[in-house]
Amino acid sequence: MVQYHTGMDAGFAAMSDVTRRGILERLGRTPASITDLASQFGMTLTGMKKHVAVLERAGLVRSKKVGRVRTCALGPRTLDKEMAWIEQYKRMLEQRLDRLDAFLERTKGDEK
Amino acid sequence: MSAATAERKAKVASVGEREVTIERVFDAPRDRVWRAMTDPKLVAQWWGRGNKLTVERWEFQKGGHWRFVEHSDHGNHGFEGRFAEIEPPAKVVQTFEWDGMPGHVAFETLTLEDLGDGRTQLRTHSIFMTKQDRDGMLQSGMESGVNESYAALDRLLATLN
Repeated sequence: MVQYHTGMDAGFAAMSDVTRRGILERLGRTPASITDLASQFGMTLTGMKKHVAVLERAGLVRSKKVGRVRTCALGPRTLDKEMAWIEQYKRMLEQRLDRLDAFLERTKGDEK
Repeated sequence: MSAATAERKAKVASVGEREVTIERVFDAPRDRVWRAMTDPKLVAQWWGRGNKLTVERWEFQKGGHWRFVEHSDHGNHGFEGRFAEIEPPAKVVQTFEWDGMPGHVAFETLTLEDLGDGRTQLRTHSIFMTKQDRDGMLQSGMESGVNESYAALDRLLATLN
């Protein structure tokens, strides 16, 4: 019997679904609870739990239950380096534009 | 968060796998936003995201080279690129590379639209490429040789290697 490389298989399966790719992109910005994710993707809690479970098995997501809230974040398995860089780039750009906004506010009226 | 702040918050979208667009409205006239983004003394005050920023190079002209270093507690990060198009006060096209991912280049197009009420709409469009993609683009651009902006891009890409 053929032994598949389980890590890779799980990764492919996890990434084969458009919702799951969306979840990863969402968690790339900030961690979120299952409830938040379910409402953002217009799904039931049960449906979202299944998707998160697939992502967790692949190591792409990890979740932690605190009280009654289960919070999900990106897991220990890193995405393709390029994808991770694009995510990082997006966050960087947002931070820069926030700073630019603050700078323009601060210097309002300094020059005419 | 006030409504005005919420409106100014950046809208980020991924288009395809390798493109990112960001739209954002600034509560400042276009000339002010343009100066803040193109005067290196002003750029140094916000580009570093709160980190100290050294502007190592700023040749603000077509084909010119820019290079910034952000100094944070976690170390220094260098970013650099070349200007491909500059149309004051509305448009800049440039390449963007981070020292940590050499060869992975983003082409950034940044436009500023005067909203006519003292505010400015900023749009950025970034396409990510690997060194291979970039070299392929260089090749095809040279073969066709019709599009002036591509030709300009080619010349500047040739200097990147």
